[in-house]
Amino acid sequence: MTTSVQPAATGQMAGRPTPTGLADVIDTILDRGLVIDAYVRVSLVGIEVLTIDARVVVASVDTYLRFAEAANRVDMSQTGEKGLPEVLEDTKGAAGVDRTKNVVQGALEAADEKLTDIVESHTARRKAPRSRRDEREEEE
Amino acid sequence: MPKQATRRDQNIASYVYGIVPADMELDSDDRGLGDPPGKVELVRHGEVAAMVSDVDVEQPLGKPGDYLAHERLLDSAAARTPVLPFRFGAVMATPESVVEELLKPFHDEFRAALQDLEGQAEYIVRGRYVEAALMREILTENPEAAALRDAIRSRPEDATRNERIRLGEIIAASIEAKRDMDTRQMVDALSGHFSTAVVRDPSHEQDAVHLAMLVRTDGQRALEEALSQVGERWEGRVSLRLLGPLAPYDFVIAQEQGV
Repeated sequence: MTTSVQPAATGQMAGRPTPTGLADVIDTILDRGLVIDAYVRVSLVGIEVLTIDARVVVASVDTYLRFAEAANRVDMSQTGEKGLPEVLEDTKGAAGVDRTKNVVQGALEAADEKLTDIVESHTARRKAPRSRRDEREEEE
Repeated sequence: MPKQATRRDQNIASYVYGIVPADMELDSDDRGLGDPPGKVELVRHGEVAAMVSDVDVEQPLGKPGDYLAHERLLDSAAARTPVLPFRFGAVMATPESVVEELLKPFHDEFRAALQDLEGQAEYIVRGRYVEAALMREILTENPEAAALRDAIRSRPEDATRNERIRLGEIIAASIEAKRDMDTRQMVDALSGHFSTAVVRDPSHEQDAVHLAMLVRTDGQRALEEALSQVGERWEGRVSLRLLGPLAPYDFVIAQEQGV
């Protein structure tokens, strides 16, 4: 399930990608970017930096067993699962979808926000209303 | 009391977020890490500047809020101006040492890199397979997998351990092959929208695509449209996310030591 739908469910925009963001963030800032001691080695201050072990994808027997179970669960007679947009529509009605759309597009507009779902062609296919920047400013 | 003495008494150091052009203007929303959030300042030298904030040396860095603050400040800057992001955890003794030991010696390099980045930012495309669709696809395409699945279907887990392991192995290999193919397709579909792209390692076993791109920020809308088309093609199969604009973490190369 895609995670950036969460803000839509929990109400309009605390605005920042929160817990989801963290995984992406850690992915990025811990092993990428310039390293200061490649430039200067002398003046680094002895500060303790807590880091999180990089999550490595290693296929193991456990992984295999989990995959097998996932395959076992699949119902092959089923032709297709409901996509997220349909699920949203079912549970919340069209308003829910619109809201998601607004959140997604708001995030696209806001320079300092970055969580965007493009998946749901359903949602993405709808063209952006011209005035969405204005809408967003009103929200704030 | 002189500032220098205060800093030393309190064990204050300068946390460096990244390098920006000296004429960059900070936003009133820009906040640093720490609790309470550090006040972000520009330490300038010539045409370049470092974004820094005071940090307490006694406090270890690395709370979730620290990561988020680091990343938000840099990404917010990247949307407005070229920025060279530092990896998390860059700390120098004083603003003076930031100038003397970082900005001054590498002024021309930083300036050149910032010019190259002008108008561009990083965008990341992440795709995750929809598990049920993925499994169905593999079982349909691979007769051995389908047979193994039938073999374990109505039998207890313990009695079918070997079959399960073999089935899982086939699935893992299939995912890897699909990931390669889908990543290539994504790169093709988006070509023309980025100046450089880097395939990132998958960070989840069901990752379909993990791609970092350097993109002109004024081309974001076109990129989104191109991505939506892929999204439509992959609907129900892969869920896609676009992250950006971000600081170009994947496109700044640290100078090798001793080079």
